[in-house]
Amino acid sequence: MHEEWTDQLSDYFDDELGGAEREAVEQHLRGCADCRAVLNDLKRVVAQAQSMPPRPPQADLWAGIAAQFRGTGVDGTHHSTRVPFRRPVPVRFAFTMPQLAAAAVVLMAVSAGVAWQIADRSGRNTNSAATAAAGAQPSDGARDASAPALLAAPDRDAASGAAIAQVGYADAQYDAAVADLEKALKQGRGRLDASTIAIVEHNLQIIDQAIAQAREALAGDPANSYLSGHLVEARRRKLDLLRRATALTSESN
Amino acid sequence: MAFSGDTSIQTRTGDPDVALAAAGDASAFERLYQTHVVRIHNLTRRMLGGQEADEVTQDIFVRTWQKLGQFRGESAFSTWLHRLAINVVIERRRSFAIQRDRMSDDVGALDNVSVAPARADLTVDMEHAIDQLPPGAREIFVLHDVEGYKHREIAAMLDIATGTSKRQLHRARMLLREYLSGG
Repeated sequence: MHEEWTDQLSDYFDDELGGAEREAVEQHLRGCADCRAVLNDLKRVVAQAQSMPPRPPQADLWAGIAAQFRGTGVDGTHHSTRVPFRRPVPVRFAFTMPQLAAAAVVLMAVSAGVAWQIADRSGRNTNSAATAAAGAQPSDGARDASAPALLAAPDRDAASGAAIAQVGYADAQYDAAVADLEKALKQGRGRLDASTIAIVEHNLQIIDQAIAQAREALAGDPANSYLSGHLVEARRRKLDLLRRATALTSESN
Repeated sequence: MAFSGDTSIQTRTGDPDVALAAAGDASAFERLYQTHVVRIHNLTRRMLGGQEADEVTQDIFVRTWQKLGQFRGESAFSTWLHRLAINVVIERRRSFAIQRDRMSDDVGALDNVSVAPARADLTVDMEHAIDQLPPGAREIFVLHDVEGYKHREIAAMLDIATGTSKRQLHRARMLLREYLSGG
Protein backbone atom coordinates (compact mmCIF):
# COMPACT_ATOMS: atom_id res chain seq x y z
CA MET A 1 0.00 0.00 0.00
CA HIS A 2 1.25 3.51 -0.77
CA GLU A 3 0.84 5.45 2.45
CA GLU A 4 1.84 8.74 0.89
CA TRP A 5 -1.24 8.38 -1.28
CA THR A 6 -3.63 6.57 1.03
CA ASP A 7 -3.09 9.29 3.63
CA GLN A 8 -4.69 11.70 1.19
CA LEU A 9 -7.64 9.55 0.25
CA SER A 10 -9.98 10.85 2.96
CA ASP A 11 -9.23 14.43 2.01
CA TYR A 12 -9.73 13.48 -1.63
CA PHE A 13 -13.06 11.83 -0.90
CA ASP A 14 -14.18 14.80 1.23
CA ASP A 15 -13.15 17.23 -1.50
CA GLU A 16 -10.68 18.89 0.83
CA LEU A 17 -7.71 18.91 -1.57
CA GLY A 18 -6.55 21.79 -3.70
CA GLY A 19 -6.62 21.51 -7.49
CA ALA A 20 -3.04 20.30 -8.02
CA GLU A 21 -3.17 17.80 -5.15
CA ARG A 22 -6.46 16.44 -6.35
CA GLU A 23 -5.18 15.99 -9.83
CA ALA A 24 -2.11 14.15 -8.57
CA VAL A 25 -4.20 11.76 -6.48
CA GLU A 26 -6.51 11.05 -9.42
CA GLN A 27 -3.56 10.31 -11.65
CA HIS A 28 -2.20 7.86 -9.08
CA LEU A 29 -5.57 6.19 -8.66
CA ARG A 30 -5.85 5.54 -12.35
CA GLY A 31 -2.79 3.33 -12.20
CA CYS A 32 -3.07 1.82 -8.68
CA ALA A 33 -5.70 -0.83 -8.02
CA ASP A 34 -4.70 -1.11 -4.35
CA CYS A 35 -5.37 2.55 -3.65
CA ARG A 36 -8.64 2.39 -5.57
CA ALA A 37 -9.66 -0.50 -3.35
CA VAL A 38 -8.77 1.49 -0.23
CA LEU A 39 -10.78 4.45 -1.50
CA ASN A 40 -13.78 2.21 -2.14
CA ASP A 41 -13.44 0.78 1.38
CA LEU A 42 -13.36 4.28 2.87
CA LYS A 43 -16.47 5.21 0.92
CA ARG A 44 -18.16 2.11 2.24
CA VAL A 45 -17.20 2.96 5.84
CA VAL A 46 -18.69 6.43 5.48
CA ALA A 47 -21.82 5.09 3.83
CA GLN A 48 -22.34 2.63 6.65
CA ALA A 49 -21.79 5.32 9.27
CA GLN A 50 -24.41 7.49 7.63
CA SER A 51 -26.93 4.68 7.41
CA MET A 52 -26.74 3.41 10.98
CA PRO A 53 -30.30 3.02 12.22
CA PRO A 54 -31.31 5.04 15.28
CA ARG A 55 -31.45 3.02 18.48
CA PRO A 56 -33.47 4.19 21.47
CA PRO A 57 -31.98 3.98 24.97
CA GLN A 58 -32.65 0.67 26.66
CA ALA A 59 -33.78 2.29 29.89
CA ASP A 60 -36.40 4.94 30.48
CA LEU A 61 -34.30 7.99 31.32
CA TRP A 62 -37.12 10.41 32.00
CA ALA A 63 -37.68 9.44 35.62
CA GLY A 64 -34.05 10.18 36.39
CA ILE A 65 -34.24 13.53 34.65
CA ALA A 66 -37.36 14.53 36.57
CA ALA A 67 -35.71 13.44 39.81
CA GLN A 68 -32.72 15.67 39.09
CA PHE A 69 -34.97 18.64 38.53
CA ARG A 70 -36.51 18.09 41.88
CA GLY A 71 -33.16 17.61 43.54
CA THR A 72 -31.40 20.63 42.13
CA GLY A 73 -34.27 23.02 41.78
CA VAL A 74 -35.06 25.09 38.76
CA ASP A 75 -32.55 27.58 37.47
CA GLY A 76 -33.35 30.91 39.03
CA THR A 77 -32.53 33.05 36.02
CA HIS A 78 -34.85 31.05 33.86
CA HIS A 79 -37.88 30.04 35.82
CA SER A 80 -37.83 32.01 39.02
CA THR A 81 -41.20 33.55 38.31
CA ARG A 82 -42.59 30.62 36.44
CA VAL A 83 -44.27 27.41 37.31
CA PRO A 84 -41.87 24.91 38.87
CA PHE A 85 -41.09 21.69 37.05
CA ARG A 86 -43.20 19.60 39.38
CA ARG A 87 -46.18 21.43 40.65
CA PRO A 88 -47.14 20.31 44.14
CA VAL A 89 -49.59 17.45 43.98
CA PRO A 90 -51.80 16.79 47.00
CA VAL A 91 -50.59 13.39 48.15
CA ARG A 92 -51.74 11.62 51.26
CA PHE A 93 -48.35 10.37 52.35
CA ALA A 94 -48.49 8.04 55.28
CA PHE A 95 -44.70 8.21 55.52
CA THR A 96 -42.11 10.88 54.87
CA MET A 97 -39.06 10.05 52.79
CA PRO A 98 -36.78 9.62 55.83
CA GLN A 99 -39.38 7.34 57.35
CA LEU A 100 -39.50 5.30 54.17
CA ALA A 101 -35.72 5.11 54.18
CA ALA A 102 -35.83 3.89 57.76
CA ALA A 103 -38.51 1.39 56.80
CA ALA A 104 -36.26 0.05 54.08
CA VAL A 105 -33.50 -0.53 56.62
CA VAL A 106 -35.92 -2.30 58.96
CA LEU A 107 -37.20 -4.36 56.05
CA MET A 108 -33.68 -5.44 55.15
CA ALA A 109 -32.94 -6.43 58.74
CA VAL A 110 -36.21 -8.28 59.12
CA SER A 111 -35.79 -10.21 55.89
CA ALA A 112 -32.20 -11.13 56.64
CA GLY A 113 -33.18 -12.09 60.17
CA VAL A 114 -36.07 -14.27 59.20
CA ALA A 115 -34.01 -15.98 56.55
CA TRP A 116 -31.41 -16.71 59.21
CA GLN A 117 -34.02 -18.02 61.62
CA ILE A 118 -35.58 -20.27 59.03
CA ALA A 119 -32.20 -21.56 58.01
CA ASP A 120 -31.22 -22.01 61.64
CA ARG A 121 -34.29 -24.10 62.37
CA SER A 122 -33.83 -26.12 59.24
CA GLY A 123 -30.15 -26.50 59.97
CA ARG A 124 -30.97 -28.73 62.90
CA ASN A 125 -31.82 -31.36 60.34
CA THR A 126 -29.86 -30.35 57.27
CA ASN A 127 -26.86 -28.24 56.36
CA SER A 128 -28.36 -27.07 53.09
CA ALA A 129 -30.59 -24.48 54.73
CA ALA A 130 -27.60 -22.85 56.39
CA THR A 131 -26.01 -22.56 52.96
CA ALA A 132 -29.13 -20.84 51.69
CA ALA A 133 -29.09 -18.31 54.53
CA ALA A 134 -25.45 -17.53 53.90
CA GLY A 135 -26.34 -16.93 50.27
CA ALA A 136 -29.17 -14.61 51.19
CA GLN A 137 -27.32 -12.00 53.17
CA PRO A 138 -24.65 -10.72 50.77
CA SER A 139 -27.18 -10.39 47.99
CA ASP A 140 -29.38 -8.23 50.20
CA GLY A 141 -26.82 -5.50 50.38
CA ALA A 142 -25.32 -5.93 46.98
CA ARG A 143 -28.44 -5.91 44.86
CA ASP A 144 -29.10 -2.62 43.19
CA ALA A 145 -32.77 -1.75 43.12
CA SER A 146 -32.25 0.24 39.95
CA ALA A 147 -30.75 -2.71 38.12
CA PRO A 148 -32.93 -4.87 35.91
CA ALA A 149 -35.30 -6.40 38.39
CA LEU A 150 -34.74 -10.05 37.77
CA LEU A 151 -33.96 -12.68 40.31
CA ALA A 152 -32.72 -16.12 39.46
CA ALA A 153 -34.36 -18.84 41.51
CA PRO A 154 -31.97 -20.73 43.77
CA ASP A 155 -31.14 -24.22 42.60
CA ARG A 156 -32.65 -25.54 45.79
CA ASP A 157 -36.01 -24.12 44.77
CA ALA A 158 -35.77 -25.86 41.46
CA ALA A 159 -35.28 -29.12 43.26
CA SER A 160 -38.26 -28.43 45.47
CA GLY A 161 -40.63 -28.07 42.57
CA ALA A 162 -41.45 -24.48 43.48
CA ALA A 163 -39.08 -23.14 40.89
CA ILE A 164 -39.39 -19.93 38.91
CA ALA A 165 -36.56 -19.46 36.46
CA GLN A 166 -36.64 -15.67 36.35
CA VAL A 167 -39.27 -13.26 37.51
CA GLY A 168 -39.64 -9.61 36.63
CA TYR A 169 -40.92 -7.50 39.50
CA ALA A 170 -43.06 -5.29 37.35
CA ASP A 171 -45.01 -7.82 35.40
CA ALA A 172 -47.71 -10.43 35.74
CA GLN A 173 -45.10 -13.13 36.18
CA TYR A 174 -44.38 -11.80 39.62
CA ASP A 175 -47.98 -11.99 40.79
CA ALA A 176 -48.32 -15.50 39.41
CA ALA A 177 -45.10 -16.59 41.11
CA VAL A 178 -46.19 -15.13 44.44
CA ALA A 179 -49.61 -16.78 44.15
CA ASP A 180 -48.00 -20.16 43.41
CA LEU A 181 -45.61 -19.86 46.33
CA GLU A 182 -48.35 -18.76 48.72
CA LYS A 183 -50.41 -21.74 47.65
CA ALA A 184 -47.47 -24.10 48.13
CA LEU A 185 -46.74 -22.59 51.53
CA LYS A 186 -50.34 -22.95 52.59
CA GLN A 187 -50.33 -26.60 51.57
CA GLY A 188 -47.07 -27.29 53.36
CA ARG A 189 -47.53 -25.24 56.49
CA GLY A 190 -48.54 -28.33 58.44
CA ARG A 191 -44.95 -29.50 58.11
CA LEU A 192 -43.54 -26.41 59.85
CA ASP A 193 -43.64 -25.78 63.57
CA ALA A 194 -45.90 -23.06 64.93
CA SER A 195 -43.14 -20.60 65.79
CA THR A 196 -41.67 -20.78 62.27
CA ILE A 197 -45.09 -20.17 60.77
CA ALA A 198 -45.58 -17.20 63.07
CA ILE A 199 -42.23 -15.68 62.07
CA VAL A 200 -42.92 -16.12 58.38
CA GLU A 201 -46.44 -14.70 58.54
CA HIS A 202 -45.40 -11.76 60.69
CA ASN A 203 -42.66 -10.79 58.28
CA LEU A 204 -44.81 -11.28 55.23
CA GLN A 205 -47.25 -8.87 56.85
CA ILE A 206 -44.47 -6.29 57.33
CA ILE A 207 -43.34 -6.66 53.73
CA ASP A 208 -46.91 -6.38 52.44
CA GLN A 209 -47.31 -3.16 54.42
CA ALA A 210 -44.11 -1.81 52.90
CA ILE A 211 -45.33 -2.69 49.41
CA ALA A 212 -48.70 -1.04 50.01
CA GLN A 213 -47.10 2.13 51.37
CA ALA A 214 -44.65 2.37 48.49
CA ARG A 215 -47.49 1.93 46.00
CA GLU A 216 -49.56 4.62 47.67
CA ALA A 217 -46.65 7.03 47.66
CA LEU A 218 -45.85 6.23 44.02
CA ALA A 219 -49.43 6.94 43.03
CA GLY A 220 -48.87 10.53 44.06
CA ASP A 221 -45.30 10.78 42.81
CA PRO A 222 -44.86 8.29 39.96
CA ALA A 223 -41.50 9.66 38.81
CA ASN A 224 -39.82 9.19 42.18
CA SER A 225 -36.94 6.80 41.53
CA TYR A 226 -36.34 6.21 45.25
CA LEU A 227 -39.90 5.02 45.75
CA SER A 228 -39.68 2.81 42.65
CA GLY A 229 -36.54 1.20 43.99
CA HIS A 230 -38.12 0.77 47.40
CA LEU A 231 -41.11 -1.00 45.86
CA VAL A 232 -38.92 -3.28 43.74
CA GLU A 233 -36.83 -4.17 46.77
CA ALA A 234 -39.87 -4.95 48.94
CA ARG A 235 -41.36 -7.15 46.22
CA ARG A 236 -38.05 -8.94 45.81
CA ARG A 237 -37.89 -9.63 49.51
CA LYS A 238 -41.41 -11.00 49.58
CA LEU A 239 -40.59 -13.40 46.75
CA ASP A 240 -37.34 -14.40 48.42
CA LEU A 241 -39.02 -15.05 51.77
CA LEU A 242 -41.79 -17.09 50.17
CA ARG A 243 -39.28 -19.17 48.25
CA ARG A 244 -37.25 -19.93 51.34
CA ALA A 245 -40.29 -20.77 53.44
CA THR A 246 -41.71 -22.99 50.70
CA ALA A 247 -38.39 -24.74 50.27
CA LEU A 248 -38.37 -25.36 54.01
CA THR A 249 -41.72 -27.16 53.83
CA SER A 250 -40.38 -29.53 51.19
CA GLU A 251 -37.21 -30.16 53.20
CA SER A 252 -39.34 -31.09 56.17
CA ASN A 253 -40.96 -33.95 54.24
CA MET B 1 -53.57 26.45 34.31
CA ALA B 2 -52.83 26.68 30.62
CA PHE B 3 -49.49 27.97 29.46
CA SER B 4 -49.62 30.40 26.64
CA GLY B 5 -45.85 30.38 26.26
CA ASP B 6 -43.71 32.83 24.35
CA THR B 7 -45.58 33.12 21.07
CA SER B 8 -42.62 34.76 19.36
CA ILE B 9 -40.52 31.66 20.00
CA GLN B 10 -43.37 29.47 18.87
CA THR B 11 -43.70 31.43 15.68
CA ARG B 12 -40.00 31.18 14.94
CA THR B 13 -39.58 27.51 15.81
CA GLY B 14 -42.95 26.23 14.64
CA ASP B 15 -43.11 23.96 17.69
CA PRO B 16 -45.55 25.05 20.39
CA ASP B 17 -43.96 22.67 22.89
CA VAL B 18 -40.72 24.65 22.80
CA ALA B 19 -42.54 27.81 23.81
CA LEU B 20 -44.59 26.00 26.41
CA ALA B 21 -41.53 24.35 27.91
CA ALA B 22 -39.68 27.67 27.94
CA ALA B 23 -42.62 29.01 29.93
CA GLY B 24 -42.20 26.24 32.49
CA ASP B 25 -44.61 23.59 31.24
CA ALA B 26 -43.10 20.28 32.33
CA SER B 27 -45.46 18.20 30.21
CA ALA B 28 -44.41 20.08 27.10
CA PHE B 29 -40.77 19.53 28.04
CA GLU B 30 -41.42 15.83 28.48
CA ARG B 31 -42.86 15.75 24.98
CA LEU B 32 -39.73 17.48 23.68
CA TYR B 33 -37.68 14.88 25.50
CA GLN B 34 -39.63 12.06 23.86
CA THR B 35 -39.15 13.65 20.45
CA HIS B 36 -35.40 14.17 20.74
CA VAL B 37 -34.10 11.56 23.19
CA VAL B 38 -33.22 8.92 20.59
CA ARG B 39 -31.05 11.27 18.55
CA ILE B 40 -29.33 12.69 21.62
CA HIS B 41 -28.74 9.26 23.11
CA ASN B 42 -27.32 7.99 19.82
CA LEU B 43 -24.94 10.94 19.76
CA THR B 44 -23.72 10.43 23.32
CA ARG B 45 -23.48 6.65 22.97
CA ARG B 46 -21.41 6.90 19.80
CA MET B 47 -19.15 9.65 21.11
CA LEU B 48 -18.65 8.42 24.66
CA GLY B 49 -19.59 4.75 24.63
CA GLY B 50 -22.55 2.89 26.01
CA GLN B 51 -21.60 3.05 29.68
CA GLU B 52 -21.82 6.80 29.95
CA ALA B 53 -24.58 7.44 27.44
CA ASP B 54 -27.55 7.20 29.80
CA GLU B 55 -26.11 9.47 32.46
CA VAL B 56 -24.85 12.06 29.99
CA THR B 57 -28.16 12.07 28.12
CA GLN B 58 -29.96 12.79 31.37
CA ASP B 59 -27.50 15.58 32.14
CA ILE B 60 -28.09 17.08 28.69
CA PHE B 61 -31.84 17.25 29.21
CA VAL B 62 -31.50 18.69 32.70
CA ARG B 63 -29.28 21.41 31.28
CA THR B 64 -31.67 21.93 28.38
CA TRP B 65 -34.44 22.65 30.83
CA GLN B 66 -32.23 25.03 32.76
CA LYS B 67 -31.11 26.87 29.61
CA LEU B 68 -34.39 26.98 27.72
CA GLY B 69 -34.77 30.59 28.75
CA GLN B 70 -31.70 31.37 26.65
CA PHE B 71 -33.20 29.84 23.50
CA ARG B 72 -34.25 32.68 21.22
CA GLY B 73 -35.56 30.67 18.31
CA GLU B 74 -32.83 31.91 15.98
CA SER B 75 -32.18 28.34 14.89
CA ALA B 76 -34.27 25.19 14.99
CA PHE B 77 -34.71 23.84 18.50
CA SER B 78 -33.20 20.52 17.38
CA THR B 79 -30.08 22.33 16.16
CA TRP B 80 -29.78 24.27 19.42
CA LEU B 81 -30.29 21.12 21.48
CA HIS B 82 -27.76 19.21 19.39
CA ARG B 83 -25.08 21.84 19.93
CA LEU B 84 -25.81 21.93 23.62
CA ALA B 85 -25.47 18.13 23.70
CA ILE B 86 -22.12 18.23 21.92
CA ASN B 87 -20.88 20.85 24.36
CA VAL B 88 -21.86 18.64 27.29
CA VAL B 89 -20.11 15.66 25.72
CA ILE B 90 -16.94 17.66 25.08
CA GLU B 91 -17.05 19.04 28.59
CA ARG B 92 -17.36 15.50 29.92
CA ARG B 93 -14.31 14.44 27.95
CA ARG B 94 -12.32 17.38 29.21
CA SER B 95 -13.32 16.67 32.76
CA PHE B 96 -11.48 13.40 32.44
CA ALA B 97 -8.39 15.33 31.43
CA ILE B 98 -7.66 13.17 28.43
CA GLN B 99 -8.11 15.78 25.75
CA ARG B 100 -4.43 16.39 25.16
CA ASP B 101 -3.45 12.73 25.05
CA ARG B 102 -6.23 11.63 22.79
CA MET B 103 -5.37 14.24 20.20
CA SER B 104 -1.84 13.00 19.78
CA ASP B 105 -1.00 11.19 16.58
CA ASP B 106 0.17 8.18 18.52
CA VAL B 107 0.38 5.39 15.99
CA GLY B 108 0.44 2.88 18.82
CA ALA B 109 -3.24 3.57 19.36
CA LEU B 110 -3.92 1.55 16.23
CA ASP B 111 -3.11 -1.53 18.23
CA ASN B 112 -5.98 -0.80 20.61
CA VAL B 113 -8.56 -1.70 18.03
CA SER B 114 -9.33 -5.35 17.83
CA VAL B 115 -10.34 -6.94 14.57
CA ALA B 116 -13.78 -8.29 13.89
CA PRO B 117 -14.22 -11.54 12.02
CA ALA B 118 -14.91 -11.06 8.34
CA ARG B 119 -18.61 -11.21 7.62
CA ALA B 120 -20.99 -10.33 4.88
CA ASP B 121 -23.25 -8.02 6.84
CA LEU B 122 -20.96 -5.24 7.97
CA THR B 123 -23.71 -2.89 9.07
CA VAL B 124 -24.34 -4.70 12.32
CA ASP B 125 -20.71 -4.24 13.35
CA MET B 126 -20.51 -0.50 12.81
CA GLU B 127 -21.70 0.63 16.23
CA HIS B 128 -19.39 -1.84 17.92
CA ALA B 129 -16.50 -0.82 15.70
CA ILE B 130 -17.00 2.87 16.50
CA ASP B 131 -17.06 2.01 20.18
CA GLN B 132 -13.60 0.52 19.86
CA LEU B 133 -11.97 3.53 18.24
CA PRO B 134 -9.52 5.62 20.29
CA PRO B 135 -11.56 8.44 21.89
CA GLY B 136 -10.19 11.31 19.80
CA ALA B 137 -10.64 9.53 16.49
CA ARG B 138 -14.08 8.35 17.51
CA GLU B 139 -15.25 11.81 18.48
CA ILE B 140 -14.21 13.33 15.17
CA PHE B 141 -15.51 10.42 13.12
CA VAL B 142 -18.95 10.71 14.75
CA LEU B 143 -19.07 14.48 14.37
CA HIS B 144 -17.94 14.42 10.72
CA ASP B 145 -19.25 11.23 9.16
CA VAL B 146 -22.32 10.59 11.29
CA GLU B 147 -23.45 14.05 12.34
CA GLY B 148 -22.24 15.90 9.26
CA TYR B 149 -20.11 18.67 10.75
CA LYS B 150 -17.28 20.23 8.72
CA HIS B 151 -13.66 20.10 9.79
CA ARG B 152 -13.57 23.80 10.58
CA GLU B 153 -16.66 23.44 12.80
CA ILE B 154 -15.17 20.43 14.57
CA ALA B 155 -11.87 22.24 15.04
CA ALA B 156 -13.70 25.15 16.65
CA MET B 157 -15.76 22.90 18.91
CA LEU B 158 -12.79 20.88 20.10
CA ASP B 159 -10.28 23.72 20.08
CA ILE B 160 -7.90 21.88 17.77
CA ALA B 161 -6.32 22.60 14.39
CA THR B 162 -8.25 21.73 11.25
CA GLY B 163 -5.37 19.53 10.16
CA THR B 164 -5.63 17.53 13.35
CA SER B 165 -9.32 16.97 12.71
CA LYS B 166 -8.55 15.71 9.20
CA ARG B 167 -5.80 13.38 10.38
CA GLN B 168 -7.96 11.92 13.14
CA LEU B 169 -10.84 11.38 10.73
CA HIS B 170 -8.65 9.51 8.26
CA ARG B 171 -7.18 7.49 11.08
CA ALA B 172 -10.66 6.54 12.29
CA ARG B 173 -11.80 5.54 8.81
CA MET B 174 -8.72 3.39 8.23
CA LEU B 175 -9.18 1.66 11.57
CA LEU B 176 -12.84 1.00 10.81
CA ARG B 177 -11.94 -0.29 7.37
CA GLU B 178 -9.49 -2.70 8.94
CA TYR B 179 -11.96 -3.74 11.63
CA LEU B 180 -14.91 -4.22 9.34
CA SER B 181 -12.97 -6.14 6.72
CA GLY B 182 -11.79 -8.54 9.38
CA GLY B 183 -8.21 -8.02 8.62
